[in-house]
Amino acid sequence: MIRIQVEDFDVGALLEAARSPSSGCVVSFVGTVRDTSRGRRISHMSVEVYEDMTRSQLEAIRAEALEKYGVDQITVIHRYGDLDVGDNIVYIGVAAGHREEGFAACRYVIEELKKRVPIWKKEYTPEGEVWVEGDRHE
Amino acid sequence: MRVRVRYYASFRDMTGKTEEWLEAPEGVTVQGIRDHVRGLYEKIARKDQVLVAVNGSFTSLDRVIMEGDDVAFFPPVSGG
Repeated sequence: MIRIQVEDFDVGALLEAARSPSSGCVVSFVGTVRDTSRGRRISHMSVEVYEDMTRSQLEAIRAEALEKYGVDQITVIHRYGDLDVGDNIVYIGVAAGHREEGFAACRYVIEELKKRVPIWKKEYTPEGEVWVEGDRHE
Repeated sequence: MRVRVRYYASFRDMTGKTEEWLEAPEGVTVQGIRDHVRGLYEKIARKDQVLVAVNGSFTSLDRVIMEGDDVAFFPPVSGG
């Protein structure tokens, strides 16, 4: 399942839903809004998405991870809009037979998301607003 | 040929636009349309990384743009 949404998500409910008798573990990653960034205080953040492309890129990454690691199920949720310090930003949940492939698939999804999914953060600091840019090279 | 281009995140701020139509010659490539945009906006020209997606996918710089293609310009991504 892929979801791109403004609303918050319930990590406990997602973990519960990911459990299944055929999987031996659920591995998750939850990204949240930090109160500092590169030495600056953050008051809040806004997240922008290029929604159609974000959906297709996440579908592709999810399919790659399922194929590459042979895990049972992957859920990715990314929020957009205005977020406060401590808010959830992203959830990745992987149900797998064993921890090795579960951790590997979860890590693959977050690392690829950070490289090639068109989402941008804007941080609000006492000195003003700052767009965060990743380090992808052409 | 008229090509619709869209700008995201800091590029929207730099251009002051979410999208616009550009006049481009038939056979223009992704590299060509990117050079055109860099020529229009000095702030984008100064950026090391100007990413381009066509119809929602990253693509090679020598791809030829067709009428009706959806071309998006944006900085390196920072989600997650």
